[in-house]
Amino acid sequence: MSSNLKLIWNGLIPENPIFRLALSMCPAVAVTTSVENGLMLGLAVVFVQVFSSCTVSIFKSFIHPRIRIPAYVIVIALWVTVIDMILPVVSPDVYKKVELFVKLIVVFAIIISRLELFASKEPLIPSFFDGLGMGFGFLFGLCLIGAIREFFGTGQLFGYDILGFNPLLIMVLPAGGFFVIGFIMATFNWLEYKITGKIPTSGGAH
Amino acid sequence: MKEIFKITLSLTVVCIVASLILGFVYAKTEHARKLNDEKIEQQTIQSLLGYGAGAKVPSDLKVYPVYRYVITTEKGETVLGYVLPIKDNKVVLAEMDLSGNPIRVTPISVELSALSDKAARDNAINAVLPKGSKSIYAQTIFVADQGGKRIGYVVPGVTQGFKSFIKLMVSLNPDFTVTGVAVTSAEEDPGLGAEIQKSFFRNQFVGKTIDLLKKLTVVKEPLPPNYAAALDPAKAKAKGLTPEQVKEIKEKHLKDNIYALTGATISSRAMTNGVVNTVKKFVYRLDKLNEAIKKEQLSVAF
Repeated sequence: MSSNLKLIWNGLIPENPIFRLALSMCPAVAVTTSVENGLMLGLAVVFVQVFSSCTVSIFKSFIHPRIRIPAYVIVIALWVTVIDMILPVVSPDVYKKVELFVKLIVVFAIIISRLELFASKEPLIPSFFDGLGMGFGFLFGLCLIGAIREFFGTGQLFGYDILGFNPLLIMVLPAGGFFVIGFIMATFNWLEYKITGKIPTSGGAH
Repeated sequence: MKEIFKITLSLTVVCIVASLILGFVYAKTEHARKLNDEKIEQQTIQSLLGYGAGAKVPSDLKVYPVYRYVITTEKGETVLGYVLPIKDNKVVLAEMDLSGNPIRVTPISVELSALSDKAARDNAINAVLPKGSKSIYAQTIFVADQGGKRIGYVVPGVTQGFKSFIKLMVSLNPDFTVTGVAVTSAEEDPGLGAEIQKSFFRNQFVGKTIDLLKKLTVVKEPLPPNYAAALDPAKAKAKGLTPEQVKEIKEKHLKDNIYALTGATISSRAMTNGVVNTVKKFVYRLDKLNEAIKKEQLSVAF
């Protein structure tokens, strides 16, 4: 069981999709203008990542290696569409909030890279936990960026007024997204350097 | 050569399985989704009419839908067809030419309660139209009636937003003053353009008369903090504004243009144009429709 927990921890911090792997940066900049947006997109990614990882892990022997990428895209698109169809029936209120985000997910690099690097090689259970870890890592990253941008950009957190004024409007604009991600990434690298004493090779690689 | 067949077959199987699953899920959820959409539409209409969240809807309040169709006759002329509910739960199709002269009125065999089902409505219309004409659904408007008196209209509209279309609903009182604006679907950017759905932006339209709307533009100025608080019921409460103060502030700013959202001028303009055009077109059409109803002496339900 500890190896599974390790997989979740791995996705959360050491291989955090945004700050360490630097994948799916577009959505990370685009929607994180508030914590709530980050949370909603993060939840949607957790679901799609877990379902896709499990599906690919189960059917990996059926998928011909030379067409694996299109097959993965179909698997992801399938789960995104299924969620997009079932959610409005199960919970219309939640759907109203996540509608915009769910449809964005099909083209996320993080999901397809986890299918390629992990789920296509490992059995079901580790794939499940890897998907869960990566999903939560992405959610954590989005919430952190969202919280910083919302607080400094609008003086609010979760939509509640805290400061009562806008300290730095640039933070909610796209440029602010790049600043915040850059600073957090640098902090992660600095922490790794302090702890291990080595200059990090991954993180902000591209 | 053998490899390529294997790959093709493999990918085809993946696609077929995926589409089968999608088809199955779609078939299973379609009905429930439709019902939910209708419910949400009803709720939006009621809240626009002032009976949102928790408020009790009076029992004599009725909302009648009026459907507008564009009909191409067998001679190739374009006429308008209005599906109107009349007294005793009956429905008629009133045809008129583009300048509003009534052509004829035909009863159609569809129940008032089944009108919202598009397929049933289309069938009923096509059954009474002469052979060779074609009807295309254009728009639905909702007329609210309380105790035999029209108390307002709810008009849906569409406008080109930043990325895709913004669908909105505007409610008007009988003098064509805006009483509410709702966004029913939009794909604006979260945090920027999506702010058009916030009450402090939508409520800027409330109270604008048709004359004010015709001159309405968007200004790139910050929203005065007092006005912002008055526009958002939650904020007004937090600031301790009394209903009288809120009314006073709103009246003071009634003739103001729409204040653009920070970082989302395009979405703000889109919304403003959408509301203005929706109302303008509706007022023009309703005028023609009312005239035609009068000329034909139709006893419409509203």
